[in-house]
Amino acid sequence: MSEIKAPMAGKIIEIKIKVGDSVKEGDEVIILEAMKMELPVVAEVSGKVSAINCNKGQGVEGESVLVVVE
Amino acid sequence: MDIKEKIAELERRDREAELGGGVKRIEDQHAKGKMTARERIDYLLDKGTFQEIDKFVVHRCHDFGMEKKKYPGDGVITGYGTIDGKLVFLFSQDFTVLGGSLSGPFGEKVCKVMDLAIKNGAPVIGLNDSGGARIQEGVVSLGSYGEIFKRNVWSSGVVPQISVIMGPCAGGAVYSPALTDFIIMVKKTSNMFITGPDVIKAVTSEEVTPEELGGAMSHNTKSGVAHFAEESDQAALDRVKRLLEYLPRNCWKSPRSIVCTDNPDRTDEALNEVVPTNPRMPYDIKDIILNVLDHHEFMEVQEHFAKNMVVGFGRLKGMVVGIVANQPKYLAGCLDINASVKCARFVRTCDAFNIPLVTFVDVPGFLPGVNQEYGGIIKHGSKIIYAYCEATVPKVTVVTRKAYGGAYDVMSSKHHGGDINYAYPTAEIAVMGPEGAVNIVFRKEILEAADPDATRQKLIDDYRNNFASPFKAAELGYIDQIIYPEYTRPKLIRALEMLKDKKDSIPARRHGNIPL
Repeated sequence: MSEIKAPMAGKIIEIKIKVGDSVKEGDEVIILEAMKMELPVVAEVSGKVSAINCNKGQGVEGESVLVVVE
Repeated sequence: MDIKEKIAELERRDREAELGGGVKRIEDQHAKGKMTARERIDYLLDKGTFQEIDKFVVHRCHDFGMEKKKYPGDGVITGYGTIDGKLVFLFSQDFTVLGGSLSGPFGEKVCKVMDLAIKNGAPVIGLNDSGGARIQEGVVSLGSYGEIFKRNVWSSGVVPQISVIMGPCAGGAVYSPALTDFIIMVKKTSNMFITGPDVIKAVTSEEVTPEELGGAMSHNTKSGVAHFAEESDQAALDRVKRLLEYLPRNCWKSPRSIVCTDNPDRTDEALNEVVPTNPRMPYDIKDIILNVLDHHEFMEVQEHFAKNMVVGFGRLKGMVVGIVANQPKYLAGCLDINASVKCARFVRTCDAFNIPLVTFVDVPGFLPGVNQEYGGIIKHGSKIIYAYCEATVPKVTVVTRKAYGGAYDVMSSKHHGGDINYAYPTAEIAVMGPEGAVNIVFRKEILEAADPDATRQKLIDDYRNNFASPFKAAELGYIDQIIYPEYTRPKLIRALEMLKDKKDSIPARRHGNIPL
């Protein structure tokens, strides 16, 4: 199991995956708006998305778990 | 004894010393995937150049039965030789002898080569593989550490000091490497910590493995203590050789230039497309760095730590340069505590050793946050200012996109002594971003407007067109030239050639007081 965390505090502006999707290492899964920029959050391992812990438009803290990949 | 017997005696003693802690312990060392202290020296130095000093030194301890455990050399091999023809001094700790533990004479041997290095102005390389203080020696061992630390400090900024951690390095022993310019760690076989996992467990009940606590990747990603993480002893020693290509012998010399076989006038239209026109889109600053350097060769320093700041060495027309760059791809390229410390330390390293600085700027500002403020971003951020203002080496700056607020000032701006400051047409140099500025300057107008959102958007667009550009700064002379991105390489080379014999100084003092 691998957790994809927010690299910094910001707002979720796009969720590019659904629970059950397969992701590869390096795939963009979330777009986070921070410091007036759109930052891609990428999967660090390949696997299947088992949980998405955030919603579009939601503000998140740095280091908070956004997506769980198994 | 005739001469033959005397020579035979020397040979016998040489062989004994070269066996260190004996065949069994050498096998143990190899079984761990480690080279022996002597193998490391042979691999690092030019063939046949090693001149050993103090090969027959033994300890003088008579407590705890130590008088029966004497090994010629006493656990460390010291001397000098050349790497790529250049003189270096080195010490290599021998883990096979009493765990590489540090005794009084061991410390004296290390100090002897360090003193020679300072007097003769040549780098010191420390190959660390030691269990720490030799307990049987008591406070003598501590005295030895202290003598080494003092010499590390005295050598700092005089000769390059490189530490390679190739085994354990714990307790007070960590402070000698910590005081040097670069720390290279070998993955899996090395670790560094002040207090090990056992002590931590006893005191705080936290459970952590030595690798998690002080392994190569911990110090290369989390603490920022180390600068490089390598896969093997050989790779770590190769890193020393590569690093030395970029460093001078001492602070009075410049790094060696080489004949450049890459066209100095090389341009690349692809550079025009690297910076996205949408300021909200990130890109990889290394695409620009790699494009402009000779043969696209960039040796990144601390590549795993504070990735929002990129630092490292390369060459332009054969001249060594230190590259500093914000990285929009990570944390939007903002300045935080770790990035500030990484940047300031690298700038000072370059200034100490006459390495010109090339700075690429795309910084949205300092990272807001309670943790950053409580962590002291004020004092850590000021280190960047301190380092750039103090640096008298040639400083060339390229603003590729954002340079907003205080972050504009700190990144090698004209005001901090930038010799030549370039900007791309995509640069946005302003006191703050359009959204923030409009909300403050036109607060009343927006509130009173019939359609506040439309008014705000129009004002933002106006502001972006009028102020989020390089032209205001160029009108004031804060930017010397607005350049076409495709010409970045020739432009940098022209500036560096012009600055080759730059003479500059800052007011004399006992020493500055950098915020720590």
